[in-house]
Amino acid sequence: MGWHMNEIAHFSQERLDPSVRDMVEDLICAYAFALDDEDIDRWPYFFTESGVYVLTTKENHDAGLPIGIIRCIGRGMMSDRVKAFHTANIFEPHSYSHMVSRPLIGRGPRQDSYVARSNFQVIRTMQDGRTELFATGKYLDSMVIEKDAARFQERIVVLDSRQVDILVVMPI
Amino acid sequence: MTGASMPSDVLESPTSEPFEWPSEGVTRAPYRLFSDADIYALEQKRIFRGPVWSFLCLEVEIPKPGDYRTTTVGETPVVVTRDREGQIHALVNRCAHKGALVCLKKKDNVASLTCVYHAWNYELDGRLKGVAFRNGIRGHGGMPADFKTEDHRLQPLKVESFCGMVFGTFADEIDSVEHYLGADMSTFLKRNLGRPLRILGTHSQIIHNNWKLYAENLRDSYHATLLHTFYTTFKVNRLDMDGGIILSDRKWHHISFARRAKMTEAEEYTTSNVHSANYDSALAGPGLLEAWDEFDDGITHSIQTVFPNLCVQFTLNSLAIRFFAPRGVDKTELFWIYLGYERDTPEQADMRVMQSNLTGAAGLVSLEDGCINEFVQRGTRTSPQHASFMEMGGRQVASEKQSRATETAVRGFWHGYREIMGF
Repeated sequence: MGWHMNEIAHFSQERLDPSVRDMVEDLICAYAFALDDEDIDRWPYFFTESGVYVLTTKENHDAGLPIGIIRCIGRGMMSDRVKAFHTANIFEPHSYSHMVSRPLIGRGPRQDSYVARSNFQVIRTMQDGRTELFATGKYLDSMVIEKDAARFQERIVVLDSRQVDILVVMPI
Repeated sequence: MTGASMPSDVLESPTSEPFEWPSEGVTRAPYRLFSDADIYALEQKRIFRGPVWSFLCLEVEIPKPGDYRTTTVGETPVVVTRDREGQIHALVNRCAHKGALVCLKKKDNVASLTCVYHAWNYELDGRLKGVAFRNGIRGHGGMPADFKTEDHRLQPLKVESFCGMVFGTFADEIDSVEHYLGADMSTFLKRNLGRPLRILGTHSQIIHNNWKLYAENLRDSYHATLLHTFYTTFKVNRLDMDGGIILSDRKWHHISFARRAKMTEAEEYTTSNVHSANYDSALAGPGLLEAWDEFDDGITHSIQTVFPNLCVQFTLNSLAIRFFAPRGVDKTELFWIYLGYERDTPEQADMRVMQSNLTGAAGLVSLEDGCINEFVQRGTRTSPQHASFMEMGGRQVASEKQSRATETAVRGFWHGYREIMGF
């Protein structure tokens, strides 16, 4: 995006149109519920056609290293992940519960583009009932408004820890 | 060695049952090996503190004088330093005074090493420089008159660099890394790592299994297309079904390689276009598999292991080191260090970045390895008296250059394991 998303923590006091805040919060919220409901097929459609999804660690992000854990450029790569989830990948069944903080929202570099930062915790429940904290971190988002709804142009998911327990097959 | 009983010093615990390797030899691995705490403790001594070269870190992680990088050899904490002359040292990260960790960060740059507990201060090569309050305070206290700093130091490991990797060993008498690897293994490592490296990203995975199950998994070419179905699901035209297994002279290490079938080496693959190795597929995002031919030997996929716990992968253009550190009898931390070369063009680096999606904790091709070894751990832990059955490709322990439908490299691991453990 050409500017550092973390800087949104110091963002201006300028008031956003409340309807924009609603659209952005609805997007962030609907995304989390879709994954919690294992409705992974909807996941690519929270992004624009050319949207970018990155799952990485704080260590890589802070060092500016390009390889994290997942990198999807465009909805096609995301739908390939969804197809792999359904038909190729093998894993023990589990589900997520996302707890997402209220986002801090600012204007993006272009007309009708916005940036947001929020924190998340993901609790993972395995089929045997084991429930554990699976991931914590922050979402660094860039969004555009398309047809009265917000979509992610870029969602960088920065995990606090370098470690992943077992594997990641559903996006966070 | 065949069918030998476990040496008596293994079973110090009165609750341990006698251990005996099945008479079938390395086509069987007793399940007890994966969950017995006494055997795990003996491995720390005989393997990780024994006659092996352990991967410590990459030279590029400690480029400057005063740089250090902490790691573990087995479960022993170790720090790798670069001194003011540029020499690399490896030291047990344990203060010579009370045994506290001396270096706490993953990486840092320091003038000397100081233990935070009582401020004992060491040179970058581990020699003790100074002791706080050595002469006491106002004439009281202090060390005895016969105290000598040169009698105390951080315990050193022998270190050697090979292809940008720093290896360390606790063994006093051991051949060079290149001899430890053998000719075939060191030649292939030079092919893959023998030029200035650049780290593109790292992460780790906790896998809930004994470290040897991952060591087996890496050598198990039989499971590749059975457990991992990404390529077949997406009809990826792999052009690389021709391949085989090369074992090192002592069978401890191996290379599994896949090569593009020669018959398909049509003109479109011999052009110098960097996209010449593009793969046909049913992918909606084919950018994932954009690749180029890096070497003229036709090998497109390779996995190379170095006993005990190192692997180098080259999946298309995705070069990575996998280092798996034991964290207990049933827990292992698997580190992924993704690499490129200093010489890479931005376009080549981008392809390596995209292909990193194939492996790692969320790897489209191989994420199953994060759970499959745990399934074995859970399946076997209550059956220590039973053993696995590994006769795919025969019972011999030998290179197999025509096929990867074999467990020969897994048998090779157990061959080396029995040798070093005295089982």
